[in-house]
Amino acid sequence: MITYVAVGLLALLSMSIPVGIVLFLLGFGIDWFFSSFPLIRGLGNMVWSASNSATLIAIPFFVLLGEILVRSGVATRTYAALDRWVSWLPGGLVHANVATATMFSATSGSSVATAATVATVAMPQAEKLGYDPKLFSGAIAAGGTLGIMIPPSINLIVYGFLTQTSIPQLFLAGLIPGIGLALAFIVMVAIICTIKPHLGGERRVFPLADMMRALVHLLPIILLFTMIIGSIYNGWATPTEAAAVGVAGAFVIAGAFGGLSFKMLTESIYGTVKITSMIMLVVIGASFLNFTLASAGLGQELDAFLSGLGLSPLGFILVVVVMYIVLGFFIETLSLMVVTIPIIVPLVIEQGYDPIWFGILMIVLIEMALITPPVGLNLYVVQGARQSGSMSEVMLGALPFAIVMLLMAFALIAFPQIALFLPQALN
Amino acid sequence: MELLGTLRTINRGVAALIGVMLLLCAAFVLLDIVFRQLGSSFGGTDEISGYVMAIATSWGMAYTMLELGHVRIDLLRSRAAPVGRCLFDLFSMTVLSATVVLIAYKCWPVLERSINNNSTANTPLETPLVLVQAPWFAGWLWFAVMACLTTLIALRMILKGEFSQSEAIIGAFGEVETLK
Amino acid sequence: ENLAVVGSWSGLPLHIEYEAPFWGETLPAASGGDLTIELTTHNQMGLGLGDIYPLLGQGVYDVAMTVADYAVADAPELEGLDVPLIALSAEEARAMVDAARPMVADIYHDRFNSHVLAIAPYPPQVVFCNAEIAGLDDLQGLKVRASGRMTAKLLEALGAEGVNVSFSEVPGALQKGVVDCAVTGAGSGYSAGWWEVSTHLMPLPLGGWDPVVTAMNLDKWNGLSSEMQELIQTQITTEFEDPAWATAQNALVNDIACLTGNGDCPAGESRSMILVEASDADFAKAREILVGEVLPEWAERAGGDWAERWNASVGQVVGVTIN
Ligand code: NA
Ligand code: NA
Repeated sequence: MITYVAVGLLALLSMSIPVGIVLFLLGFGIDWFFSSFPLIRGLGNMVWSASNSATLIAIPFFVLLGEILVRSGVATRTYAALDRWVSWLPGGLVHANVATATMFSATSGSSVATAATVATVAMPQAEKLGYDPKLFSGAIAAGGTLGIMIPPSINLIVYGFLTQTSIPQLFLAGLIPGIGLALAFIVMVAIICTIKPHLGGERRVFPLADMMRALVHLLPIILLFTMIIGSIYNGWATPTEAAAVGVAGAFVIAGAFGGLSFKMLTESIYGTVKITSMIMLVVIGASFLNFTLASAGLGQELDAFLSGLGLSPLGFILVVVVMYIVLGFFIETLSLMVVTIPIIVPLVIEQGYDPIWFGILMIVLIEMALITPPVGLNLYVVQGARQSGSMSEVMLGALPFAIVMLLMAFALIAFPQIALFLPQALN
Repeated sequence: MELLGTLRTINRGVAALIGVMLLLCAAFVLLDIVFRQLGSSFGGTDEISGYVMAIATSWGMAYTMLELGHVRIDLLRSRAAPVGRCLFDLFSMTVLSATVVLIAYKCWPVLERSINNNSTANTPLETPLVLVQAPWFAGWLWFAVMACLTTLIALRMILKGEFSQSEAIIGAFGEVETLK
Repeated sequence: ENLAVVGSWSGLPLHIEYEAPFWGETLPAASGGDLTIELTTHNQMGLGLGDIYPLLGQGVYDVAMTVADYAVADAPELEGLDVPLIALSAEEARAMVDAARPMVADIYHDRFNSHVLAIAPYPPQVVFCNAEIAGLDDLQGLKVRASGRMTAKLLEALGAEGVNVSFSEVPGALQKGVVDCAVTGAGSGYSAGWWEVSTHLMPLPLGGWDPVVTAMNLDKWNGLSSEMQELIQTQITTEFEDPAWATAQNALVNDIACLTGNGDCPAGESRSMILVEASDADFAKAREILVGEVLPEWAERAGGDWAERWNASVGQVVGVTIN
C-alpha cells in the first residue's frame, strides 16, 4: 500500500496536477483498490472536519501577522539589520535569511507562514545581488521550518493535544534545539561557502556603529515575541489564542514602527487568503488520504511491523527516525503527525522514552519532511515567492539543511538533555 | 477575456470579505481574552473560530486558483514546449475541476444531514449546523463552478491557438504583483 | 465474514484493556474462524467526533464505538443517556444505562441506521480545581472547563462559567488561572498529570459517566445469520460489556486513591490532592437545579415524547421526574 502511494504520488505530481488534488486522487485510489468499504462516502465529512478547526485558524493568523510585518516595512528593516550583523560570514546574505527566519519563528507558530514571510522579503535581494538561487532559497525554506520548533508552534500544540503532554513544557523544550539548529545552519552555510565561494554572495563588513544602530530595528520583533509568549506564560491566552494576540500585536507594531494603510491591509489580506487556501487544499486532501489509509489498515501494518521487530530501545528509535524520513517524503506534515502519533507514541513511551523529548525529536523530523521533495510545503512556498526558476533548484538547495536536521535528530537521541534541560530546570 | 476578468474581480471581492471575517474573528478572540482577565467570558470562541476557518477555506479556494496559487510540481512541465505546457495545464485543470465537482457533490450529504436532523453543535452555544455548513458548502460549490468555467475558457483559448494567454490563466506561476 | 471495526480513543484503558482484546482475540476465537476483524480507532482515522456514527450508518465501516455524547449534534434526545449527578456509583450508572437501552436502540436505529450491541462506561467525569473549594456551591463564579453539552449547561446553571479549553491545554490553563476547575475522568486526570496543577478534587460525577456505545451498521447486522447475530450479541455482553462494568467502580476508587493518597494506588505513585466531599445540602441544591432547569431544557431540545419515555425508564430507576 505504501508502494502504491509512493508510485502514484510521483506519477500524478509529475503530471503537474496540484498537490492537494493529487492527495485526493490517491485517496480515491486507496478506496477503490485496497478497501472493501465505500470510503468515498466519508469524503464530505472529512472535508468539513479537517477545516472546521480552531487550531488551524492559527495558520491564517500567523500568515496575516507575517504579511503585515512585510508590507509595513518592519520585516524588511529586520532583515537589513540582521544583514549588518551576519553578512561578514562566508555566504553573506544567506546567513541573514537564516537569522531572519529564526527571529520570525519566535513570533509565528507555523513553518509555512515563517517561510512565506522571509521569502517575500529576501527573494528580491537574491536576484538583485546575484546570489546562487539554490542555497539562497534553500536557506529560507529550511530556516522557515524553525517556525514549528521555536515557540509558539502549531505542530507542538497538535502533538500536545494528541499525546496529552503539556504544551508550555513542549514549548520550553523546543527552544534550545531550535536555536541550536539555527546555529548549525549558519555554520554549515559558512563551511559550504568557504569551500565554494561562488555559492554565497559578497561578504560585507559593516562598521560597528552601523551594526549598533541597526539593533533598533530588531526591537519590533522582540516586542512582538514578548507579547505572544508573554500572553501564553502569564496565562492570559491559550497557545492557540496567542495567534490572535500576534495579529493584534502586528497591527500595533506596524502602526508604531512602519506604516499602516488601507492598501497594505488589503494586500496583506489577499496574500493571507491565497497562502491559507493553498495550504488548506493540501491539508484537507492529506486528511482524506489519511482517512483512507487508516481505514485500509495502514495503522495495523505499521504497528505489526514495529512491534514485530523486537528491537532494543535505541534500535527502535532509529527505525522510527528512518520511518519518518521516508513517510516525510510523501505525506504532508500535519497529517503525518495525526496518522502516526496514536500508533508510534505509545510504543515509544513503552520503550522508556520521555514523551516531551520525543515530541521535539518528532518536530525535527517533521521539519525535514517540510523541505524534502516531492511533498514539502516549505519548498512550495519559497518557490511560490520566486518569480523565475525551477522548483528543483529550491529542492537541491534545501538538501544540505535536511542533512543538518538529521544530525540534530541524532544529537537529540545521544543527548536528550538538549530538549529536556530547560523544562526540567524551570519546573 | 472579459468573463475571466469578471471572475477575477468577483473573487478578489470574496477574498477581501474572507479577510474581514478573519479580522473580526481575531478581534473576537482578543476581546474574549481581555474579558476573561476582567472575570467574564463569551465562551465558545474556539467553536466560532472553527466555523470561520471552514468557511474561509472553502471560499478562498477559487480565488487562489485564479491567482495560480495552488501549488504544482512543474519538473516535467517546465521542460515542455509552449503547446506541451498548455496541454499539461489543461489536463491538470480538467482533473482539478472533476475532483472539486466530486468534492462539492460529496459535501452536500453533510449539509443535508444537518438539515434533516435539525442538527445543533454539541456545545453550550447549540449553533444550528445548517447556518455554518450552508455557507461552507456554497464555498465548495463556488470553487467547482469557477474551476469548470476557467477550464472551459482555457480550452477555448488553446483551441484558438492562444497558448500564452492560456498559460496566463491556468499556468504554474502566480501573478507577480501579489508577491511584491 | 469480515468486519471493519472502529474503536474508541486508542490511548484510553477501555480500548486497550477491553475493546482491543475482545475484537482482536476473543470474538474471532469464539466464532471458530468465521469472523475476521480489522480493528482501528477513530482517532487513528482522524475522524471528526460527530462523524463517527453517521459514517457507520452509511456503511463506511461495520462497527463503531465511541462516547454517545459525541453524537448529540444529530440526536439531542441521546443526551438523556448520560445525565450528570444522578448516578453516583458504577452500579447506579449501569442501572441507568440498562433502563435507557431501549431508547438508545431506537435512537441508533432511526438516526444512525445502526444496531446497538453494547454500552460500556468510561470512568466518571469528576472535578479538578486549582482553587479552594469546599463544595459544589463554591463553583459559583469560577471558570470551569467542561466537556459535553449537558454538563456545561449544568455548570452554567450552578453559576460557574464555562470555558472551552482542549484536553491537553488544561494543565497550563489550570496553572495560569485561565480556568479554575476542569472536568474529566479521574484516571485520565491522573495520567495526564492534572494533580501537578490542581489542588482540590471533588469526586462527584458532574460530567456523568460518558457511556461508550458499540453499534453495528444495520444493513450489515440484518445480513448476518441469526446464529451469527446471537454469537456476537452473547459474546459482546459477557466478554466485553460485563467485565468493563465490573471494574468501573474499583477503577474509580483506585483513581481517587491515586490522586489523594487515601488508600492504595496500583497505577503508580499516589498524589496528595485535597478530597472535597459535597455536602448533602449542596448536592440537593445541584439536583434541584438539574431537575428544575437543565432537564426540562433538554426535554425541549429533544422534543417528541422523549421526556415521557425517559421518565418511564431512566427516571423510574434514579427517582427523578422531568416536569
Ligand atoms: Na514558532
Ligand atoms: Na517532504
